[in-house]
Amino acid sequence: MFMIILFIMIIHVDVLTILSYILAVVSAVIVGFIVRLPLLPERPIRYSFTISIIFPTTVIALGLSAMVFELGWGGILVGIIVGVISALISKYLLEMILPKPTEPVEGES
Amino acid sequence: MNEIIGVIIAAVLCWLNFVLIDTWMGLPEQPGVKGAEVIGRDVKKRGGDLAGGFFQGNIVCSPDASAGTILSSIACYTIGIPAGGFVAALLVFIGNRLCADPGYAGTTGALTIMVIIALASFIGIPPEQFIVGMLLAIVTIQGLDHPRASILLGKIAKKMGRYTELT
Repeated sequence: MFMIILFIMIIHVDVLTILSYILAVVSAVIVGFIVRLPLLPERPIRYSFTISIIFPTTVIALGLSAMVFELGWGGILVGIIVGVISALISKYLLEMILPKPTEPVEGES
Repeated sequence: MNEIIGVIIAAVLCWLNFVLIDTWMGLPEQPGVKGAEVIGRDVKKRGGDLAGGFFQGNIVCSPDASAGTILSSIACYTIGIPAGGFVAALLVFIGNRLCADPGYAGTTGALTIMVIIALASFIGIPPEQFIVGMLLAIVTIQGLDHPRASILLGKIAKKMGRYTELT
């Protein structure tokens, strides 16, 4: 999947932007390891709400980078900073902003 | 490419994208929230399939691969490839978490349709035709005949080993 997305990017955007996206993901992964996020959610993955490096940290890194790049701030350094911020959001903010469902709310299973 | 043919091809690609990913991610296995269960059981009562009903209910109650597919198509149309797909994936993930859903189906759907749109651009199908195609695709699941659509979805779920164990 990553290779296909990389191929798509090679066709549609310039090398600097591709490099910025890659560095955003790489810095998110590195900071994710430093702040001790798990690499993968526990199995079965499709029902797991665990915040891990692969999901959703990389998705947040890619999405935030795309937003920032489209707003006009581009470049390798911006990519790295966005990656770091994404990992920190995953570790410290995401659970607070979007908590996993714990107790069933009235009317929900 | 002729616009009508392009829309039909896009509709087929969107249909396969969201149905296969949603089934793979276990939408027919269990209802995520009470609303999805009510829809699933109602569809079964009307002669449909329970797993297919859960699939339809889950689509209604949270943004899954169907929402990812249409949002990614719209984002690719407005801000381009690949930025549109990445932004759509993030937005669908946030929407999923707000709806008590882990978010794998939606984000995967958004990213895969971005890849499909990029590849389809080589044969002359632009993102706007994917927007129309996705609307047609979702009509076949949610807008024409719930029981018959649910039976088809149930068969696909059985084939992919994602059929519900609930009765």
